Amino acid sequence: MDFFEEMQTLGVDVEEGMDRLMGNTALYERMLVKFADMLKETPVTDDFGRENSTEVTESIHALKGAAGNLSIRPLYEAYTEIVNLLRAGEISRAKDEIRKILPVQEKIVNCIRRHELEE
Amino acid sequence: MEKKTILIVDDVEINRAVLAEIFKDEYDILEAAGGEEALAIMNGNEEISAVLLDLLMPGIDGLGVLKNMNVTGKIRTVPVFLITAAENRDLLLEAYHLGAVDIITKPFYAHFLKHRIKNIIDLYSYQNELESIVAEQVTRLNKVNRSVIAALAALIEFRDCETGGHVRRMSTLTWLLMQAVSERYPEYHLPSDEIDKIGMSAVLHDVGKISIPDPILNKPGKLTAEEFEIMKTHTVKGCEILQKIPDLVDEGTYVYSYDICRHHHERWDGKGYPDGLVGDETSIWSQVAAVADVYDALTSDRIYKKAYSHDVATQMILNGECGAFNPKVLDAFLNAKEKILAMYQES
Repeated sequence: MDFFEEMQTLGVDVEEGMDRLMGNTALYERMLVKFADMLKETPVTDDFGRENSTEVTESIHALKGAAGNLSIRPLYEAYTEIVNLLRAGEISRAKDEIRKILPVQEKIVNCIRRHELEE
Repeated sequence: MEKKTILIVDDVEINRAVLAEIFKDEYDILEAAGGEEALAIMNGNEEISAVLLDLLMPGIDGLGVLKNMNVTGKIRTVPVFLITAAENRDLLLEAYHLGAVDIITKPFYAHFLKHRIKNIIDLYSYQNELESIVAEQVTRLNKVNRSVIAALAALIEFRDCETGGHVRRMSTLTWLLMQAVSERYPEYHLPSDEIDKIGMSAVLHDVGKISIPDPILNKPGKLTAEEFEIMKTHTVKGCEILQKIPDLVDEGTYVYSYDICRHHHERWDGKGYPDGLVGDETSIWSQVAAVADVYDALTSDRIYKKAYSHDVATQMILNGECGAFNPKVLDAFLNAKEKILAMYQES
């Protein structure tokens, strides 16, 4: 299974993501790596308190925009839900959602990193 | 054709790269990773045709950029598109109020986005081009106005050998005094372009003297009561002349010229002519023109008298020897002494 097929099985809408980049496959691949780098710099975690929830909201909001633009649908949808919950002050429910999405996120990042190494 | 430039403002590199990829073939791309950088780029670049702006960014955010563009006036000539994943209705509404032309939510569809942005950029280019054509025509019209007025004024001066230079000085003094009154008294405040028009219009205050017979207009001695009655008609006659040429100048200049022509001999106590208006029944510009007219007449050589000094002329005006004037205009006149003296020295 090639890289894009594997991403598709993880729920990424590769066709839409490429379309958004005017069919530029190389740029799409580079941006996916950049997305994995973003997650490394600002990891999504459920280890935070109410006092720094604004900071967490802002960083997940930024990830949400990037995931949306790259059509990483499962993450985009989960981040959207998490941001909404955090803005509504539902910290505990937001953390539940974060815990649910972390394994999916890990699979997607691993797939990107493997492909990066192959390249 | 030269490529237009788009500025992409987003703190997330992926988002900037996606947008840059979409637009790079048709536009030159500038990128900013935050509000501060965006404003610095905009301040040094007059050629930006559109800004694609993220709303939520650290430091100066999208609303901050929009607010700054309102202050600098750039918001009127450069279309701003908010490209955001934010759904907060109040924020989006505020962005619209601050002049954003469109709000595009992430994730967007490249082809739709290209068309939406191209349409607005074309519309703004067309509008900016029209505005610059109109501004050029207004400048040309103002030049024509000034030439027409100068020609009329020259005609009066040629006819009235006593008043060489009076028309020009009186017009400059009216402009100077009107500024002083406007600055000192909020109730009489006028924008500077209106004050410029008033100064220009004052040139025509004595246009009616063209209709006064030579023996009266240029009489070396005191006028008889009957002659003075004829002399007084120059105010009304001037208006009749202006009525015949209303299209020679723009509407604003015409209105001021007509008013000053008719009312520059009215006095604060109602003892002036031709209408005997009292106090602020006379427009503030005609009240100001009246003081300027009297001051210049007093400080100039006339066929029947020598010029008085500034101090003597001022005293005569304050004593009411030339009729009563609005105390606020007199106050501004006294306050502007240095500027008046400098103006007379220059002329």
